Amino acid sequence: MTTTVNVTGTQTPAHHQPPKRNRRTGHKLAKMNWIGGGLGWVWLFIVMIPIYWIVITSFKTQANYFITNTFAPPRDPTFENYKTVIDNDVALYFFNSVLVTVGAIIPAVAISFMAAYAIVRGSGRLILRLTNTMFLAGLAIPLQAVIIPVYLIIIRLKLYDSLLAIVLPSIAFAIPLSVLVLSNFIRDVPKELFESMRMDGATEWGTLWRLAFPLTRPALVTVTIYNALGIWNGFLLPLVLTQSPDKRTMPLALVNFQGQFGVNVPAIAASVTLTTIPIVLLYAIGRRQLVSGLTAGIGK
Amino acid sequence: MTNSNFSRRNFLGLAAGAAGAAALAACGSSGPSDKGGSSGGGGGGASYWSLSGEPGQPIRQAAIDRFNKANSGTKITPTFFQNDAYKQKIKTAIGAGQAPTMIWGWGGGGLKSYVDASQVVDLTDWFGQNDAVKQKILPSSFGAATVNGKIYAMPIETVQPIVLFYNKKVFEKVGVEPPKTYGDILNLIPKFNAKGIAPFSLAGQSRWTNMMWLEFMLDRNAGSDVFNNVFAGKAGAWSDPAVLDMLTKVQDLVKGNAFIKGFSSITADSNADQALLYTGKAAMMVHGSWSYGIQKANGGDFVKSGGLGWMNFPPIEGGKGDPSNTVGNPGQYLSISSKASAAEQDVAKKFFSTTLVDDDEKAGWVKSGGVPVLTNSDSLFTGDDAQFLKDMSAIASGAKTFAQSWDQALSPTAAETLLDNIAKLFQLQVTPQQWVDAMNGVIGK
Amino acid sequence: MTTLAPPAVRVKESKTAKGGRGGSVLWMAAPAAVYFFAFGVIPLLGVLYLSFTTWDGIGAIKFTGLTSWKAELTDPGLPHSLWVTFEIMILSWLVQTPISILLGVFTASFKRYRALLAVLYFIPLLLSGVAISITFKALLDPNFGLGAGFGIDALKQDWLGQPRLAMATLIFVVSWQWIPFHSLIYQGAVRQIPGSLYEASQIDGAGRMRQFFSITLPQIKYTIITSSTLMVVGSLTFFDLIYVLTGGGPGDSTRALALEMYQKGFMANLMGPASCIAVILVLLGVILAQLLRRLGGRGDESMMEGV
Repeated sequence: MTTTVNVTGTQTPAHHQPPKRNRRTGHKLAKMNWIGGGLGWVWLFIVMIPIYWIVITSFKTQANYFITNTFAPPRDPTFENYKTVIDNDVALYFFNSVLVTVGAIIPAVAISFMAAYAIVRGSGRLILRLTNTMFLAGLAIPLQAVIIPVYLIIIRLKLYDSLLAIVLPSIAFAIPLSVLVLSNFIRDVPKELFESMRMDGATEWGTLWRLAFPLTRPALVTVTIYNALGIWNGFLLPLVLTQSPDKRTMPLALVNFQGQFGVNVPAIAASVTLTTIPIVLLYAIGRRQLVSGLTAGIGK
Repeated sequence: MTNSNFSRRNFLGLAAGAAGAAALAACGSSGPSDKGGSSGGGGGGASYWSLSGEPGQPIRQAAIDRFNKANSGTKITPTFFQNDAYKQKIKTAIGAGQAPTMIWGWGGGGLKSYVDASQVVDLTDWFGQNDAVKQKILPSSFGAATVNGKIYAMPIETVQPIVLFYNKKVFEKVGVEPPKTYGDILNLIPKFNAKGIAPFSLAGQSRWTNMMWLEFMLDRNAGSDVFNNVFAGKAGAWSDPAVLDMLTKVQDLVKGNAFIKGFSSITADSNADQALLYTGKAAMMVHGSWSYGIQKANGGDFVKSGGLGWMNFPPIEGGKGDPSNTVGNPGQYLSISSKASAAEQDVAKKFFSTTLVDDDEKAGWVKSGGVPVLTNSDSLFTGDDAQFLKDMSAIASGAKTFAQSWDQALSPTAAETLLDNIAKLFQLQVTPQQWVDAMNGVIGK
Repeated sequence: MTTLAPPAVRVKESKTAKGGRGGSVLWMAAPAAVYFFAFGVIPLLGVLYLSFTTWDGIGAIKFTGLTSWKAELTDPGLPHSLWVTFEIMILSWLVQTPISILLGVFTASFKRYRALLAVLYFIPLLLSGVAISITFKALLDPNFGLGAGFGIDALKQDWLGQPRLAMATLIFVVSWQWIPFHSLIYQGAVRQIPGSLYEASQIDGAGRMRQFFSITLPQIKYTIITSSTLMVVGSLTFFDLIYVLTGGGPGDSTRALALEMYQKGFMANLMGPASCIAVILVLLGVILAQLLRRLGGRGDESMMEGV
């Protein structure tokens, strides 16, 4: 009925296509995509309003926060909020958050990747099917429901009030979704590729790293970011599993600026600004690698 | 902000303590210390969890510092949590059998649930033996610490009645007098609305803010009996006709634009409701006495220049309630965990009988703008806040009944249903009759 | 109707080799399995047990058989919060997916400011629930927020106080935070569509719209599934944002399952019924995962691996 683009039978699905994209692709897409273009700028505006508000509010005093216009920059900007935030050991909390996030996300993604590979490659085995079912059951565990058992396990392990106490359950709760996404991805790798690896005498471990890993990189990057954000912003685990101020993570520190009867909004704005900047910088520098991770394909 | 100093000190204190040092040495990899259960600090120690933030935390920390200094052999290790975080944390800890030695709370229904689960120590005999301590505390504060005739908590900190605040400048501008009766309030509503000023500020999203209205409306209409029956678990206690009448009046207020437009989007935790009053966008507000300190700190010269007025909620014409009655927090409460060792309990009791009733404690709370639960505080009411403190003290001590806020007096199960239904009532999502039926369903639960 | 871009063309090899080779991959699943068993399954079994008990979260746990289940299944709050959960799931998917795809396509092709845009888009992702709630509550305040700031009365709405408006606001804030992430994924997917596909279709005279629908969309099909999986499963356990933004209100208009569970368990001290809700959530997650997999045209295999 319609024009048929003849794609041969050996064509692999998009996400593990070798990156032989035409340089001109981008140009053409740009021309055809004025709707996206308009949306891009509108969305930028929508994204920036709250961020602009956070930045200017961080320079207001709490006393004139309600008195001045919401969007007017403060006439005499104060650095008092930043001083408050720095005096409150925000650097330590930031460092803790980084430790917890990095310490949890690397093992979480690594073992999820291995499990996803095993589930796809050994899908005939009953034990693997049961394992997969177990992971699926973990997809929608409400953390609040299991927090008391987790708390007891951590105490039993004598890990209460340590950063490791946050790391261990964070790894566990990142596994189900990571396995689901990664196994769906690995499943799309054509079987003949595995077969040819086998013919070449590669072990499963070698196939995992040399074939599945490069092909799955976009998905690996996706689940890494997704889960890292969840851990970075996690509140309940750090709250329940730690106690001393020197073990607090950023979300707990933010809550600390909420007093008994009210919130110190400018101080929160200042700590949000202060702790977001290093990550935005890091992202700005590492973005190229990140995007190439998302677009990586065979032969890279 | 003084906040910083305390978290520092806290940090250093922990580092010095044996448990803290061990945890630090392990660099977070594996802290063997279990500070939840058996307190840090080794030998004669006790743990204490409470709320962080201004104005309370510095005063609480100061009390512990005083105690630790005066008792070199023993050590109380405090940890402070933000309000909502604390509620979650303490519930998890107690549920897992890991409560701190001293449990900070609001008394009433929450305390009763601890008592029912045998989680807190009966202090009746202790108060019997230490009558001098008991005499230093306002008798009205013991009500919410008492379950089935026994005392399970030490009243501490401040008495916080709920009052009607108003912006005197707005009243002058509109040319009206502060209300003396509920009828006056009804007359004032259209006058303020006509000038584009909201009659009442209300942080409706926070739910308990709406509840304060129901508490006064019921009390002024029908007296304290109805809620006492509910509290006592009498079946169908909400079916009193006065309740229906009160609920109808509240919904009439909502329909009559008594509350600021969009009140359901306003939260109390950002203090936006109080900002509405001091910026003159609203004329009046029913709120806890702690609001005074917030308005003083954030409202520019509003409080200092005499812009803020306050009064007990006015009587309702033909109502049965005693106009002197008030509601609010008759105090805050400190209980001792029954899971704590005898040594830890002794440290806590010593803390109760010495530091928590000393003059520094009293002066600290007065300075923060609060009326202490300790007796003979009136002589300390001096300076800018003297009039406010005197009035609050008079309302608290002059009340024929000082009722505890409903959500704190009732069991957590009933309180949650109550707040839920109050929110729906103000949304006009339920009728007064549906409200009564829903609430009768959780009486005694 | 011919399909333009093929779905994954898999060579259906004989599965005889599989069984034998499966043995050598078994150990690779072990770390995740052991780990998840310790911190996921054991607590889950605890929750399952609690759903057959009566417990206030503080005192002794009493085994009461089906009492909690009976109470929960007859509670009108359950169908309501189920409905709210699905509403949030479907609406947030409907809003986020098209915008994310369009933005992804746009940023993939728009070279000039791409770096800057990508960085700015990324910022909302980094904000925690607390930061987002404080920001949006301030902006949505009818008296001091957006409306007052811009001087536009139309923006002085009772954003969180009207049931429908509150739901819309919630969906907006969710989208505000997550659209950047999903458009980032789509950007990656779009950038690897071979240019030759577009050239070929251009020779055939296909217009821009048709190129989008006949090449771009089919080529990013698997990305759509991945992104949808994250959105849909994520929306089941959405808690923080709703809790801090609306608290489930006004009334119970935005009270999703996770919130209903929290309110029952931790506010009302009814851990039994709350555990029942948790079990229901877990079951929903399993069902959704199956559905999503079938949508991807992988029904055959999921039958084998399935529940």
